[in-house]
Amino acid sequence: MKITDKYANENFNDYIHKMGRIILSCTLIIILLVPTLICLKFDIFPPLKNFFNGFIQVAMVYIPLCIAEFLTFVPMLGSGASYLAFITGNLTNLKIPCASMAVENAGVEPNTDEGDVISMLSVASSSIVTILIIIVGMVALVPLKPILSSEVLKPAFDNILPALFGALGAYWFVKQWKLAIVPVVTSIIFAVIIINILKMEIGSLQGVLIPILGIISVLSARIMYNKGKL
Amino acid sequence: MNYFDTANSNFIFIVCGLAILFVLSQAVVFLVLAWKRGIVLGMSKNTMKSTIKSSAIFSIVPSLPIVLSLMAMVPILGIPFPWLRLSIVGSAPYELISADIGAKSMGVAGLGGEGYTAQVFANSMWVMSIGIIWGLVYCIFFMKKYQKKLRNVKKKDSSWAAILVSALYFGMLSVYIGPPVIEGGLPLITLICGALIMIIITSIIKKTKAEWLSNFSLALSMIGAMAFSVIANFII
Repeated sequence: MKITDKYANENFNDYIHKMGRIILSCTLIIILLVPTLICLKFDIFPPLKNFFNGFIQVAMVYIPLCIAEFLTFVPMLGSGASYLAFITGNLTNLKIPCASMAVENAGVEPNTDEGDVISMLSVASSSIVTILIIIVGMVALVPLKPILSSEVLKPAFDNILPALFGALGAYWFVKQWKLAIVPVVTSIIFAVIIINILKMEIGSLQGVLIPILGIISVLSARIMYNKGKL
Repeated sequence: MNYFDTANSNFIFIVCGLAILFVLSQAVVFLVLAWKRGIVLGMSKNTMKSTIKSSAIFSIVPSLPIVLSLMAMVPILGIPFPWLRLSIVGSAPYELISADIGAKSMGVAGLGGEGYTAQVFANSMWVMSIGIIWGLVYCIFFMKKYQKKLRNVKKKDSSWAAILVSALYFGMLSVYIGPPVIEGGLPLITLICGALIMIIITSIIKKTKAEWLSNFSLALSMIGAMAFSVIANFII
């Protein structure tokens, strides 16, 4: 196969899946290799029973939650970008807002060949920046600490999600307000129930709420679509 | 020996550093792949360049809370392992909760408390590492099939496929709209402020045809709203 052939239409999709699978398998191995090497070096393997106890508690929540995340986020990002985004994490607060605006600003349609390219470029560039910033943050931990955790800046970092999603929401909801009504109203109702009635911390439930609101939003869109209201 | 001597040892620094280097190199690989694909598709280099630039600039500020999380984890788990965990899959709340579960399942009251030995630290490490690998596992086994399914939906009814993706996206956005509306106070002020700045920037772009500005509209609105929350905090 010529080098350019692999970037041609149908070949590229197969190629990206192949690459994605290889890279993700390597990442998985590395994730397991790190604690293995550390435990070997210091001879600190925990008893299997205790590990298993902890593992089950975490896995019980994350095995289903990750299915929901997978089903929700892959259509938004396209496959190439998804492979990388699932390695680097921070999907809702970084990768998806970043990629969705990039696709919009590039003037291409999401989920087309061009849209996938922009989405991949955006997620890759965002991932590189985040990794580099964490490195800088780690190296400069001592001098940065008083600045980043200062009382003056605290409200800014406490409210970074409302700042981000206020802006994103305004942009998209103005464009397609009909699609926004049901999920936004449902989200407000959920917030009343969780914050005011159940008195629970809503931040910890956001991972569960994303697929739930996703389903509600898709169902309402389908109903409107069938009735020809969209 | 204190578990911190282990947790902050050069060995763990090197192992975690190499793992992060691998992930960083993968991001570069994807960047190059996408770039070459874009060229073959006949996309403009300028468009692709401005995507890379605007995504990089936007990502700076939302990455700062991750550094804050690192600062919160370091006194408990040492520097290198939290550094690795925050650079790959997962998020700060997940890491702390799963580390704590790892400690408790060793019969220790909690993170860094009495009896938190190097071995307990190792158990925390294992639980944190394996607890959240499922996204990767699903991608390896099901991404190709899922992508095919999505493409079939698109083939059958392309306008519905576009609405479906938007609806999923709107579901996710909405999750973050409800809480500040109900909490009121600074979160609500910041939310409204972010929305207003975005609307203003968008209308400026429309009027002046300053298309370049659209690459920065999200970063500017977000930072503007954050700055306003600092000011509002002084006033209220």
